[in-house]
Parts: sequence; C-alpha cells; structure tokens
Amino acid sequence: MAEAPKAPTAPANPATSRCRNRKLDQWIAFWSVPFFFNVFGLVFVPLSWMMPPRSPSSPTPHIVEFMHSHNLLIACLILTLAYGLAPVSNSLYLIQVKRMSVSPAFRYSMMIGAITGAIVGMLFPMFCFGLGAFRPGYSPAVLTMLYDFGYLAFIGSLGCFCVMWMAFGLAIILDENNILPKWLGYYTIWQYVTELMAAPVWIAKSGPFAWNGLMTFWFAMVLYVSWQIIVYVCIFKAIKNQPESELDNAPPQPAPAAVEVPSRAGA
Amino acid sequence: MTDVAEGSATGVDQAQRAADTRGHVPGEASMWFFVIGDLLIFGVYFVGYMYFRGQNHQLFLASQARLNVDIGAINTVVLLTSSLFVALGTAAARAGNIAAGLRGFWIGLAFGAAFPLLKMFEWIPEITAGLTPGTNLFFMYYYVMTGMHLCHVALGLVILCFVIRNLKTSIPPKISFIETGATYWHMVDVLWLVLFALLYLMR
Amino acid sequence: MNTRGQRILLWTAPPAVALFVLAYLVFPVFSPPLSPTLTPDQVAAFFRGNVTGILGVAILCNLIACSLVPLFAVTAVQISRAATSSPVLTYAYVICVGVGTTAFILADYCWGMAAFRPDRDPQLTSLLNDMAWFFFIAPVGTIMVQNLCFALSVYLDDRPDPIFPRWVAHFNVATVALLAPSAFSILYKSGPLAWNGPLSFTLRLTTFAVYIAVMFWALLRAVKQQGDDRVVLA
Repeated sequence: MAEAPKAPTAPANPATSRCRNRKLDQWIAFWSVPFFFNVFGLVFVPLSWMMPPRSPSSPTPHIVEFMHSHNLLIACLILTLAYGLAPVSNSLYLIQVKRMSVSPAFRYSMMIGAITGAIVGMLFPMFCFGLGAFRPGYSPAVLTMLYDFGYLAFIGSLGCFCVMWMAFGLAIILDENNILPKWLGYYTIWQYVTELMAAPVWIAKSGPFAWNGLMTFWFAMVLYVSWQIIVYVCIFKAIKNQPESELDNAPPQPAPAAVEVPSRAGA
Repeated sequence: MTDVAEGSATGVDQAQRAADTRGHVPGEASMWFFVIGDLLIFGVYFVGYMYFRGQNHQLFLASQARLNVDIGAINTVVLLTSSLFVALGTAAARAGNIAAGLRGFWIGLAFGAAFPLLKMFEWIPEITAGLTPGTNLFFMYYYVMTGMHLCHVALGLVILCFVIRNLKTSIPPKISFIETGATYWHMVDVLWLVLFALLYLMR
Repeated sequence: MNTRGQRILLWTAPPAVALFVLAYLVFPVFSPPLSPTLTPDQVAAFFRGNVTGILGVAILCNLIACSLVPLFAVTAVQISRAATSSPVLTYAYVICVGVGTTAFILADYCWGMAAFRPDRDPQLTSLLNDMAWFFFIAPVGTIMVQNLCFALSVYLDDRPDPIFPRWVAHFNVATVALLAPSAFSILYKSGPLAWNGPLSFTLRLTTFAVYIAVMFWALLRAVKQQGDDRVVLA
C-alpha cells in the first residue's frame, strides 16, 4: 500500500502559539508613527525653533546667534537616536502597496526614494545645524553657509520625495484590489505637486517663494500635513480590514474533504 | 419567432444606452475630487498673485509688458480647439461611434502637443534675454504658475494617449475612463484661461 | 539548492570585514582618533601632514562602503521568512540599512574632501572633519531600529522550527543599548562620550564588529537550515 504523503509543515501551530493578535508586527510598526512624528515636531519647533523656518535674508548677527544655540545640539542628539523610525513609517506605505495589484517596481521605487530622502532630507540638514553649534569659533560666512545648506536641504529636497509620491499615487490609482481609496491616490499626486511648488526655494531669498515663504512653505505645509494625517488614517483602516486569510502568517485553511464523485455511466 | 427576440434585444440595448447618458456623473468620482482640488490649489496661487500684484502694482505692470501676448493668445486658441475635439470625441464614443471618437481624440492630441512647443518658443527667448524666475516677484509667479500648468499639460497628453489606446484596443471601450481623461483635459484648459487672463491680459 | 545565492553573498562578508579592519588600522585619523578639542589650525596641519594615508583609506572605503550590504540583504531575506503577518519589518530593515550605509559614505567623502585640498582655509577643513566624525559616529538611530526590527521578527516568529535561536534576538537588543551612547558625541568635546572617547568610539566599533561576527554565524546556520524551504517574496 502506498505511503500516505507527508503533511506539509504548518506555518504556525494554532494549538501551541499564544492566542494573540496575528497582525502584531503591523500594529507595532503603525503606532511607532505618531510617536516619531511627535518627537520630530517637538524637536523642530519648541526645542530648537528651527521650524517655522527663519528667513534666508535674516541679518547675519541673527543667523550667528541662532547657529550657536545649544538646543540645536540637543535636537541633533534626539534626532540621531530617533530617525531610525522614519524607515518604519515608510514601510507602512510599502506593505499596503505590496497588497495592490500593481508591479513590485512601484514599491521598490518608493523604497529607494525613502532611503535617499532620509539622508538628504533629514540627517544631513540636521547635522548642518548641529555643526555650527558644536564649535564656537566659526566665521559668520561659514555659519551662513551651514544655515543655507540646512534649510535648503530640509525644505528643498525634492526628487526623492517626487518619486515616492508619484509611485505611491499611481499605485493607488491603478490598483484593482482597492486597498486604499482612489481619492487618496489623487491626493498623493498633490504631494508630488508640493515638491514642484517647493522648487523656487533654491532661487528666492525673500517673499512668498523663499524657503519660509507663503507659497513654498506655509501653503505646501497645509497640503503636506493634512495628507500625512489622512494617509495614516487610511492605512489604519487598511490594516484593520485586512482579512486574516490574506496574512503572511495566516492560519492554515482546513483542506476540503475529498468528495468521491461516483462516475456516471451513460446519460 | 427569432425576429421578435432580436427586436426586443435591440430595444433593451437602446434603453440601456439611454439610461447611461441620462443623469450620470461623467467619469470617475475620484477624478472630480482631483479636478476640484487642483482648481483650489491653483486658486490659492491666483489669490496670492492678486494680493502681491496689489502690493507691487508698478513692478507687475512693467513686467507684464515684457510678456509675449501673441504666443499666449495662440496657445489659448490651441488649447480651446483641442478641448473642442476632445469633447466631440467623447460624445462620439458615448454614442458608440468609435472611429469618430478616435478621430476627435487624435486631433485633440495633436493640438494639445502644440502647446508645449509654443511654450518653448515663448520661454527660451525670455530666459536668454535675462528674464528668469529670480528676476522679480512677477516673473517668479509667472514661471511657477505656467510651469505647474505645463506639467499638468504634459500629464494630460499622456492621459489622452492612454484614452486613444483604450479606444483602439478595448471592445467595447471603457466610457468612464474616456470621460475621466476628457474631464482632466478640460480642467487643464480652464486653468489656462484663467492664467492667460491674469498674467497676460489683466492691466 | 535554492539558498546558494544567499550562501555566496554571506561568504563575501569575511573578505569585506578583512578590508574594513585593514582600513581601520591604516587610517591616520583613527590612530589615535583625532580629538574634538583640536583647533582648526591643528586639524588643518594634521590633514596637510597625512594626505596619502587619509586619501588612500578614503578611496578604499569609497570602494568597500557597501560590501557589508550582502550580509544585511541575507538578513532581510531571513526576516521575511519569519511568520509575521506582513513584510513591514523586512522593508523597515532594508531602508535602515540603505540610510546607514549612505551616512557612512558621506563621512568618507568629508574626510576625502578635507585631504583633497589640504591648504584650504583651516576653518573649512575643520568643518569637514567635524562633519565626517558626526556622520561616522553619531547616526546610530538606523542601526538601532534595524536591530530592533530583526529582534522583533525573531520574537514574533510563530514557526514551530524558529529561524534563529532566541538569544540572537536578545543580543540584537543588547547592541541597541550599547550603540546608543554614540549619539551623545554631538554634545561633548572631551570625556567618554566625545567622538574619540571609550563609549562613543571604542564601544561602538567593538559592538559593531562583534555584531557582524555573531550575525554571520547565525545567518550561516539559518540559511543552512532553510534548505529547500521557499522564501516569502517581500
């Protein structure tokens, strides 16, 4: 008699694994986001007053005084400890895009954009501000250069985010599984537009198109912050509504009992 | 017996088509969300422009005089014509006439493609003459707004190509997709009309 | 055997480590590590006097900067095998590695820049040196989070035959605590937390070296155990 085929190894043993939330990895990652954004906000605003951005045409003594502030170093410190959470916040986009019916190229583009953005748009400008405060002896010219580089890199980092929002928006719009609502896809296209809107910061030194300007900073922030909040609300819903059977660690489905179909002889 | 069956079948078809065109929002709702939002974004730019124009009236007037109104006007006509053919094509597609629909969209695309070309003839002489975004606030607004609009035009041309492909390859063509594309293109046209009036014409 | 690719990539790590150790031993900036208390003139003088050594290591590190990436990539593959509900930890890990590697490369560039034109204004050379040290020592945030993601994947791994023994996860969590002090190097110019101090410099580099060795061993074992088991695409 033929040996019964070996049963495939179950991915999880329901009898022995603790009865806990299967989506724990996603939820832990998700709740790191409000924590990280709050730390980010506190570091940039009340701690160091880097934001809202100071003017590119600030008089030099003001720039020097600001760049010498000890709080800039503390801000650097907190950010170098916490900025590893930015990749986590980006991964939350990626896992939803993975569920969509679109090519993996979309999420790989987003991944690469996220990598580049974390350095050119966050860590490097942060160090520009920290450097000035680290050593008291720098000339005003050097401090002004660091001040420029810091703000331009923060606010004027465009391309890495352009690719992220374009890929994300397109993925949502083209997705046939409707993981995220279509209007969010269009809203994400506006994120791309805010990058276009920020381009003039590399030119204007005052007025509405400077890096602290009405059009390039304040208006772009209105669009950006609202999108950031809304996208995570949508992702929350998406994680919550993901059926258990779709999870990578889904409980094994019971095999349908083999039904013997009696052969029909004749009609 | 079969004649009666055929007759009633075509009757059902006609009723269906009538129901489709009567009282339904063309295109996808999410595209309207995008269109209205886009109009609002540009709206904020228009308001900002008007405000700063009020603050710097002489500067803006003098700068506006340097613009090439002729090309601006030709571009307006080009976009309006393009929109007209896109609308004709959409109507034809809705009525089931694929060939006429394709014709409308091809001509619309051709006119639309002329827009960026003409823009180059406008911008390049201006830039080589030293009128850059950094020249003054008016020119910054001018380049930023027409630049953003040009990106919208480029995207619109790509969308029109996809609509044409849909008309050629899908049987039957996806009407809601065609309407969505046409809606976007008309929005691009409306934006240009406002831009033209604000930047070139208003004294 | 479908784990051949992983094993090939893993075995690129030992030669990579050998080159990094060589670079470390030969780098004038590290022997002994430059003190943050040096004045710009002293820093400029140092760079003027060590151009060949510094540029040589800068070029070498430019070339080998990403040579540990294959080891991290194999780690990412093993993370994706854990029985979690999604690849969120895998993606976070990959992005962290990319970011951390970029920071390392920027440090290398800054030292290279400083040595490229040794007769620059001493303030600028000192600035470049500061920037290089900042990028080399301080950005521990991504290594910390990537190790936490790895540890979490081990803790959440529901499989009856876990990919990694539990203690590897505990070890990763321990490294997080051991690496954290380096972030404080931004605040001090002398003492154990300064960038040349025993906590920020010696502890950090030692921890990282031990970490690579331990992970190399753990990954070899995991890949061997993987056998023909197919991997979840991330």
